[in-house]
This record gives sequence, structure tokens and C-alpha cells, in this order.
Amino acid sequence: MGERVYIFKGFERFWHWSQAGLIMFMMLTGFEIHGTYSIFGFERAVNYHNIAAWSLVGLWVFAIFWHLTTGEWRHYIPSVEKVLVIARFYSSGIFRNEPHPFKPSQLNKHNPLQRLTYLGVLLFISPLIWITGWLYLFHGEWSAWGLSVLQLEWVAIGHTIGAFLMLAFFVSHIYLVTTGHTPTSQIKAMITGWDET
Amino acid sequence: MKSVKPIAAAVLLTLLGASFSASAYDADWKRGRIYYRSVCTSCHVAMPVGSINPSTKTMAEWSSYIQADKHAKGKDTVKQYVSKSYRASIKSANKAAEKFAEVPDQELLDDIKAFLIKGAKDGEAPASCS
Amino acid sequence: MGLNSLRQSAGCVLAVLLYLFSVSALAVDEPKPLKLTTTADHSKFKELQREFQSGPEVTKACLTCHTEAAGQIHRTKHWKWEHLNPDSGQTLGKKHILNNFCISIASNYSACTSCHIGYGWKDANFDFSVKENVDCLVCHDTTGIYKKPPGLAGNPVIKDMELPPGSGKIVKGIDITKVAQKVGKSSRDTCGACHFFGGGGDAVKHGDLDSSMAAPDRELDVHMDATGLDFTCATCHKTSSHDVAGSRYTPTAMDKGGAHIRGKEDNSNPATCVSCHGNGPHKKEERLNQHATKVACQTCHIPAFARGGVATKMNWDWSTAGERDAEGKQVVRKDDKGRVIYESRKGTFTLGENVKPEYFWFNGDVNYTLVTDKIEKSEGVIRINWLGGSPTDGKSLIWPVKVFRGSQPFDPINKTLVKPHTAGNDDTGYWKNLVWDKAVEAGMKDAGLPFSGQVDFVKTEMFWPITHMVAPKENALACVECHSKNGRLTGIQGVYIPGRDANKLIDTIGWGIALLALLGSLGHGLMLIAARRKHQGE
Repeated sequence: MGERVYIFKGFERFWHWSQAGLIMFMMLTGFEIHGTYSIFGFERAVNYHNIAAWSLVGLWVFAIFWHLTTGEWRHYIPSVEKVLVIARFYSSGIFRNEPHPFKPSQLNKHNPLQRLTYLGVLLFISPLIWITGWLYLFHGEWSAWGLSVLQLEWVAIGHTIGAFLMLAFFVSHIYLVTTGHTPTSQIKAMITGWDET
Repeated sequence: MKSVKPIAAAVLLTLLGASFSASAYDADWKRGRIYYRSVCTSCHVAMPVGSINPSTKTMAEWSSYIQADKHAKGKDTVKQYVSKSYRASIKSANKAAEKFAEVPDQELLDDIKAFLIKGAKDGEAPASCS
Repeated sequence: MGLNSLRQSAGCVLAVLLYLFSVSALAVDEPKPLKLTTTADHSKFKELQREFQSGPEVTKACLTCHTEAAGQIHRTKHWKWEHLNPDSGQTLGKKHILNNFCISIASNYSACTSCHIGYGWKDANFDFSVKENVDCLVCHDTTGIYKKPPGLAGNPVIKDMELPPGSGKIVKGIDITKVAQKVGKSSRDTCGACHFFGGGGDAVKHGDLDSSMAAPDRELDVHMDATGLDFTCATCHKTSSHDVAGSRYTPTAMDKGGAHIRGKEDNSNPATCVSCHGNGPHKKEERLNQHATKVACQTCHIPAFARGGVATKMNWDWSTAGERDAEGKQVVRKDDKGRVIYESRKGTFTLGENVKPEYFWFNGDVNYTLVTDKIEKSEGVIRINWLGGSPTDGKSLIWPVKVFRGSQPFDPINKTLVKPHTAGNDDTGYWKNLVWDKAVEAGMKDAGLPFSGQVDFVKTEMFWPITHMVAPKENALACVECHSKNGRLTGIQGVYIPGRDANKLIDTIGWGIALLALLGSLGHGLMLIAARRKHQGE
């Protein structure tokens, strides 16, 4: 075994897994609301989706507070430097059993490609889903808020686009997690907080 | 011996008074309709007899049926199923029994009779049971 | 002796006491809840303490006290059977329009006016100004015995008579004196005497009004529930000056006015849901109040009509009428439930129970194809009436509607619908003779309208918004009834319904991206496994 680095702090792990659970559940219920399949029945799917959404709101309030007060938000500052190196690694080096060009540390836990991806999720997918989701939730208030020009269809389409992007991210994320040192090493890291390299 | 007479007279007067007040009661066929349909029919539908339309009997037949007071071919009485105690026993599951829980037995029986006579085969407005 | 007399007098005192006690006990024991609803027992009025021989006689007696009542009635649609639609300018009302049930009252007055709140409207010359021709009893009867059989121009049968004449059927006379002495407020039974039987029989026309509503249970109508709230029609159709609120000719499709409260001037229709429940009645689920900005209350809260066990007519094909059996007699056919589905004099019927309504955007505008309007058979189905409405006019909600379809006679030369003479014991009435051209000629002549002499049939439909038979809240429509592919609102345009609607392009691209991510991952993973094996092998 190589050296062990404590990367993911307790709250961060809690945040990650509860968010993962909520997002998976919201994709499950969301696509049922979208009419893709029937599991819970429309009414329950909507209610579950809303409960999960409010839970996620609560979780985010804590997560944002945590990121701001601990300075952890800096892990999402994009660095263009070395992005190509990482991209090259995943597209060819990884197949030649080259070592990962990035060593995570407490000060720098995400590789540049991760930083970029997570930032994309945070700055594009999440706001898209959040904003359209809130509008969806408060459909009845639109005219009171001066938003009568909005069409539910546009909002729904925006929300659906967000959902598909989240799904694509989810699939890739699950896969990339297994490409670590061993297929489960990265999952273990997110459970215990310790990264073994 | 003589002392019995006044008491008898008192009883007689009481009975007279009672019968006078009973005859003064103006039967409410609509209340009878609700009770008949909600209590009588709802039970009869489930029983082997099936539901009984008021229009299946003549006015005379209904009158004598109520007069004879024989339910289920004499096994029990009709009055029993109109009584306050019967209503109390079913009122948790029967809204008509609950609504009319406090109606005097004779009034309710008169109401039902009014509905049956009115809805009889030769009545003023032949009626079905539902 | 002394002892005896003492005992005797004691006995007497006891007797008197017992009697007094029993009387006072009886007096206390004898509440008359029904009598408490009114301050007047009409049987005690000397004006009514006599034998009445006719309806108008009773009305004259009523008017001696209720001096202005006839004048009030004379101003109403119930009396005039006429309504000028201020928006469309069309003159409507039973007196003028035609429908696709029994078609029209012209030349059929004696039959149709059995539902007129008057006496003696037997032809087009009826005098609408006569006070004693107002029928007080048909609305104020409490005995349930007052009846006005078809054929007598709105008169009841007082003495036993043969009806129709020559039929051998005896209709028994009613005790109109008893009816007059027991008048009271209108009830489900009195309104229902006509409105439950619209279209010529129980449940035929409306679908949400039939005899099962006389004493409905909670499941059938949560408001009229005879053992519960026990609303009468007038509880909602709040009436003042004898003018009953709520109209099919100018209905209120969207009521933004909130609940009516005392002290506030409310000129809006008091028969809407909103006039009691307000605009935000769902206390726990704000989302349902949001729905109410697009969906009429009735859409969710009346899951089906004709729920009371009486079938309503859904289709009436006049074009098949006229069959005769081998002996030349009229034919009647019934279905396996004993319901009439064919009559020589009327044609073929389709019946329905527990019918799911059809749904339309509706803004309250109702327009009619009148007998004077030109129609083209080639245009397909002629709408006898149609509902205005659109998703964008700001005045429409999605409403449940009974669409009544059929086929009925028209004049292919003059290109108009026609008013045939159906009821009538004469040589032109269709129901007796089964001859169309004579029947139409007589009917159109009576209406003062041209007729070419030729009769053809055209498909028609009528739209009847559904508003009665409101189910208890636990039986309201589940979300999935509309929020699904092929749900109840499949044909409704202009509104995005999650679960029903999805943008095909977005869905295709979206699933494509997700699939690419999956395939990319799988491909990458396979390559990685292969590379690692190779490496381990080395």
C-alpha cells in the first residue's frame, strides 16, 4: 500500500452521499413525472420528488455554509493548466498503466478535469435544475411575481434538459469512480475519507 | 275495589291523550323514504330476499303489513327495525340511522308508512327502492 | 266510608295528576322539526280550506296573499322559455331553439309544456300575461303527488281520465286540494320533477341530473346527500324574486370573485363552486389551487356522470325510426338490462352509466345553430350548440362535458334543421304515424318556417357542461387520470401537462447523451480491463 492521505472530511462525505441518494431518487421520481415509466404512481412520485427537493435545499444550505466558512470552495476554482494532461491520461495513458498524473492532497483534492466538471455541474446543471425546479414548484405564483410571460412548457423543458445532463454526469461519474487504483478504492475514499495512492 | 276505577280512568285518559297526539302527527314521507332506502333497502340488498320496491305492493298490502308487524315471516317485528335501540346499534355504520337517532319510534314508523302508501303499486306516486 | 271517600278522592287527584303529567310530558316530547322550517301552516289558511277543481283556481287563491308572485314569475326564463343572449344577440330558450333529443316544442306544446311552470300552453297563442296561469304547485308541492302528464299543456289530472284519449289507460286524479294546503319550499323533488326528466325521460338529457338525485347518498352527491348536508337545488341556485340563479344559456365558466359573504355586494352567479368555496379551497395542497386556474372544479370533482344507477342517453339516431313489425305495429327493443334502445317513433339510442365526460376549454359562451341558420351536410357533424373557449383567452377553464351525439331530420333543399311535429294524437304527429314529411311540414308550419317537402338526416352534437353529482373529495380524480399518456385530457391543447407532454426533440437528444455516456463508459471500461489484463500478463 502507498501513503494514505485524508482527503474527504466528515461533513463532506455526509454531504456527498446524502446528495447522491437524493439525486438518484429525484432522477427516479423525476423521470416518472416526465412520463417515462410508472413506479410510484404520478401523485406519489410528485410528492416524493418535492420532499427530496426540499431536503436537498436544506442540505445545500449547510453545504454552502460549510464551503464558505472552511474555504473548501477553493477546490472548485478551475485550473486550465494540466487539463490536457489529465485528458490525455484518461484517453491513452490509463490503458498503458501509466501512473495518474495527479496526486490528490488536502489542499488540492480534485484533479483539473474534476474541477472543471464539478464546476460545470455547479455553475450550469445545478442552476438550470434549481431555477426551473423552483419555478415549477411555484407555478401558481408566476403572475404574482410578474412572470406571466413564462410558459410552463419552457420551464419543464429546461428542467428536463438539466435532468438529462445530470443523468449523463451520473453515468460517467459512476464509471470514473471505478477507474482508480482498484475499482473500489475511490468509493472507499469517499466513505472513510482516506485516499490510498 | 272502587279505588281501581279512578286509576283506570287515568290510564284511559293517558292513552287517549297519547293516541290523540299520535294521530296529530303529520307523517314526513321524505324522511320515510330516506330511512326505507338507507336502512331497509341497504340490508335487503345483501339478504336473500333482495330489495323490495314500494311499488310491488298495494296500499292495502302495505297497511296490513305494518299493522301485522311481522318481519321475516313473523320471526321478528318490523317495529324492531325502526326502534331507537336498533338505530343506535347500527348508527356507526349507517348515516340515516345516525341522522334520525332521536326521532320517536312511532313517528318514524308513520313516516315510512307514508312513503310506502304513497309509493305503493296503486299509490299516488309508485316508487322504487333506490 | 270516610276512609273510602278519602281513598276515592285521593284516587281522583292521582288520576288528574297522572293525566296532567302525561299531557305535559307529551307536549314536551313532541317537537316538530319540519314545521319549524316555516312560520305558516298553509292548511290553516281559510283561502285554501275549500275543494279546488283546477290549477288556476289554486293559483288565484295563492295570489290573494302572495300578490306579486305571478308578476315575478312572468319575468323569468322558467315562465317565458325565452332568453336573449346579450353577448351573441341570439334569441334562445326552449321556445326558440331546437336540440337533438325530442328536437323542438313547436307544434308539440301540449306534451312539452307539461314541464312549463304554467297552465294551458297548448299552442303558439298562449297568453303569457295571465296571472292565474302560473303554476305555483309544481315548485312548491311537498306531498310528492303533484304531477303534470304530457299532453295536457301543463295541467294536472284532477279527476280520473283516459290519457292519451282512446288509449284505454286511466290516469288517476290527484288530490290538488291536499297539495295546495301543504305547499312549502321547493325541493329536489319539485325541481327534479322536470329537470331529472329532461329530454323525455329519467336521466335522458343531462347525465348529471336524474331521479337518483331526489335522495342521493354521499357518494353520488356530497352536497345533496340526504343523510348529510341535504342541500336542495335552491341552496346553490339561490333564488330571489322567484328568479332562479344559474343558467345553461349564459353559464359562469370561470368565477374569480371569491366566496359570497354577507355585507358584500355580490352580483355574480351564486350557483358556482367558488361562490361558497372561494378561489383557494384546497387548504393543504396549494398546488391544487394552482390547478384551479386552468381546470374547473367539476373536472376533478365529478369523475363520472350518470353515477346513480340510471342510464343517460349518449346517442340518439332519429334516422332509424319508423320500423314496423309484421302486423304493422310500432316496435320497441330493449337491451339485456331492460332499457329501451330502439323505438319506432324515436329511433336508436345508446345509453351510458358512470360515463367519463369529455373535456373542453370553456369560457361561458354558448352559441346555437338555430332553425333559421343554414347548414351543409357535407360539413359533417352539425353542432347544435357549441362552447366558446381557448387556452389563451384568460376566461376559459377545462370543463367536463357530456357530448350528446345523434342524427336528426333536416331540410336538404332549404338547408336548415327542422322542427317536426312529433307528439300529438292526429294524422301528422310522427310518433303516431311514422311519416316524416307530413310531420315536418306540420311542425315547420306551426313555427312559421319554410319547408321544401324533403327530409334527410344529418349528424348533430350538443354540449352539456357537467356540474352536478359532485363526488366526495376522496373520490376526486387521481392525478394520473390526466397526468399520463392517453389520459383524460389527451385532446386538450395549450397547456403543458407533466406526464402527458414531453418535447420529442429534447427527449431524443437527452436519452442520446445519456446513452453516449453509458456507451463511452462501457467502451472505456472494456478497453481498460483489456489493457490491465495485458499488463498483468506481461
